[in-house]
Amino acid sequence: MEGKQKEFSKLIKNNQGLIIKVSRLYTHSLEDQEDLFQEIVLQLWKSYDSFQGNSKISTWMYRVALNTAITLFRKKTRQPQTDELQDFHSKNYLEDSDEKQQQISLLYKVIKMLPDVERAIVMMYLDDEPYKEIAETLGITEVNARVKMNRLKKTLKELMIKHA
Amino acid sequence: MPNSEDFDIDSLKKSWQEQVISDDYNQDEIEVMLNKKSRNYVKYILWISVAEFIIFGIINFIALFSSSFHTDFTSILNKLQIRNQNEVEFSLDKIYYWIKIASLVITGIFVIIFYKNYKKIDVEANLKKFIIHIINFKKSVNLFIISNIVLLFLFIGSFTSFIIFTIRRQNIEIDNPTFWGLIAGVTFSLLICIILILLYYKIAYGIILKKLSKNLKQLEKIDSEKDN
Repeated sequence: MEGKQKEFSKLIKNNQGLIIKVSRLYTHSLEDQEDLFQEIVLQLWKSYDSFQGNSKISTWMYRVALNTAITLFRKKTRQPQTDELQDFHSKNYLEDSDEKQQQISLLYKVIKMLPDVERAIVMMYLDDEPYKEIAETLGITEVNARVKMNRLKKTLKELMIKHA
Repeated sequence: MPNSEDFDIDSLKKSWQEQVISDDYNQDEIEVMLNKKSRNYVKYILWISVAEFIIFGIINFIALFSSSFHTDFTSILNKLQIRNQNEVEFSLDKIYYWIKIASLVITGIFVIIFYKNYKKIDVEANLKKFIIHIINFKKSVNLFIISNIVLLFLFIGSFTSFIIFTIRRQNIEIDNPTFWGLIAGVTFSLLICIILILLYYKIAYGIILKKLSKNLKQLEKIDSEKDN
């Protein structure tokens, strides 16, 4: 049991970027972000036995992380007002001094303006997941995932220009 | 001043993938998380549903199997001055017996459906399936409660109509205060029951079911708009 825990925690440590990104995208406070991270880890742990190499690590992690973030997770804090959200973003990315990091912060901000399902499509696309994976993770067709993403590229660009 | 090329999603892919994750967790912190309590909606729905099953099961059991029912019923028949009480009670006993059987069969069937639907909820399924399975799980509990309410209405309805039928057959004075008291009591209790049940559902499941339906609609919308 202990060996399995060690193996699992090592796997999560090496792939935590994906969970952190999902947690950031689906919460509006640092407290909820940490709680969501923990809930995703717990759900991954519960399904670890059935996973054990049956699919790609990223496929398994995306499915569990997105199902947890979009459907399972109970937020503690209420939905913040626009100015509070702004405040959270600036505090969260205080160290984002260079231009690249500022762009990423802006990207997070505008993706969070999208509905839950669209956020998932954008995130997987940015992480270079193939459309087949995106479609299978969400339960939509590959063609529709592609069409939706093309439309979202335009929407995101407009939102970024507006909020830059 | 950034130009519009800077906001092209494809050109931001590389930066996104290489973003610096600050405050990451070490292995010990992750292991501690494995012993923490899960806080999720399915767990919340599961416990509320189990409580609903138990509460409605007990109410149903008490209503249908209570021995005080006969004493109360005989005293009502007395107050209404109904004659041939044994004959009336025998007919009502038959209705009562079949409602009891139906109630037990319905509860048994729903316990099986409830368990099967719960087992279908798999966090590794795709998002659409996952949402549908949670909604189906909740629907099986709702159906159980609705069927219990229908049984209760059937029970009260058959009891009231049987009394009215007997009163008419025996030509008993209709201005009997006990009779009108009974009709008013039954109507009032039914109304209060409906209001309380609706209020409870709005509070207990309003937020979660609204969120689930919204996301399911989003997925269905994406799948229906390809040629538009």
